[in-house]
Amino acid sequence: MDELELLKKDWQSDRSKNEPALSSEEIYPMMHKKSSSIVKTLFYISIAELIFWVIINSIPYFSSEEYRADLAAMYGNSTILLAITLFGYAVILAFVYLLYKSYKSISVTDNAKRLLKNILNTRKIIKYYVIYNLVVAFLSMAFGLYYMVYVNPEVSQQFAEFSDKQMFIATTLMILFTLGFLLIFWLFYRIIYGILLRRLNKNYKELKKLEV
Amino acid sequence: MNKELEHSFVELLEKHQNIVHKVCRLYTNNQDAHNDLFQEITIQLWKAYPKFRGDAKFSTWMYRVGLNTAITLYRKSKRSIKTQEFESVSFKIKAEAYDDTEEQQLKLLYKAVHQLNDIEKALVFLYLEDKNYNEISETLGISEVNARVKMNRVKKKLKTILNP
Repeated sequence: MDELELLKKDWQSDRSKNEPALSSEEIYPMMHKKSSSIVKTLFYISIAELIFWVIINSIPYFSSEEYRADLAAMYGNSTILLAITLFGYAVILAFVYLLYKSYKSISVTDNAKRLLKNILNTRKIIKYYVIYNLVVAFLSMAFGLYYMVYVNPEVSQQFAEFSDKQMFIATTLMILFTLGFLLIFWLFYRIIYGILLRRLNKNYKELKKLEV
Repeated sequence: MNKELEHSFVELLEKHQNIVHKVCRLYTNNQDAHNDLFQEITIQLWKAYPKFRGDAKFSTWMYRVGLNTAITLYRKSKRSIKTQEFESVSFKIKAEAYDDTEEQQLKLLYKAVHQLNDIEKALVFLYLEDKNYNEISETLGISEVNARVKMNRVKKKLKTILNP
């Protein structure tokens, strides 16, 4: 007899119904407990992510007059600064919209493959948001450093007095610092999402593999 | 209205709970994890229940939500790491008219099924529940042909696990 047929016979027999059956009184409280599903975790992470980057980008801007003046000086005039700031918020709003749409599309009543795909898509949007922020952070750091070294009168004066060797060391340090900053973020995300979505990725790949 | 909905849901779940228990048996190794998964499936079923229209059978609908929760949504809690052999909990086999060799074989079979990956388990589960390939393909989102091909591979894999 086929092994699976033997299993089926047993599976469908009464003796496999040996779980202690739950009464409706036991089911009621279960329905209202908090879900610990992966979608919920992902949702909280994306909210935290949004807030984190909004704060990082806004705090210095709103907290000090001086910083704003510096920024305005850096960009030549405040119109460009305003445009860049508005663009930044527009991008955040666009991501919020995309995330909202993506979460809406996750439905537990879809087939397994579509459900997996929609969850992984949501993760992708968060990933793009993070990449966007890292790129912006990198550009502003590079731009800021460039401004400091070549345009800011006090600092550029100092740099002008540097020997070639000192200049080389200073530049290397700045590049290393920037790269280190990016690397730490990148590792952080790899670890968080890697652990969280390992099973999902594995299962999605398994279903995708069947199509080839 | 809400109370009515709750009431009808609980009644249906109570009646068909064996389906959820069976999903839990396949995807977990101990009683704590079993309860955790049962809990999560219940939450997901309840959350999706307002969208459930009578046009699908409640049990059919449960297969989908139950498996989706086990395959995708469920995060193994720390509690589930505790080592308690599944044999001792999930597959308490009652002494009945089964002869010894068959009993032994069944134990090995259940053990082998537990070694399959999540997707393979889903296939086996639907197969054991007597679902046809059309239903299997719709539940998992793969074509019927691929469901058949995969099922044959799973059968072979089980054979290899059983007779290494």
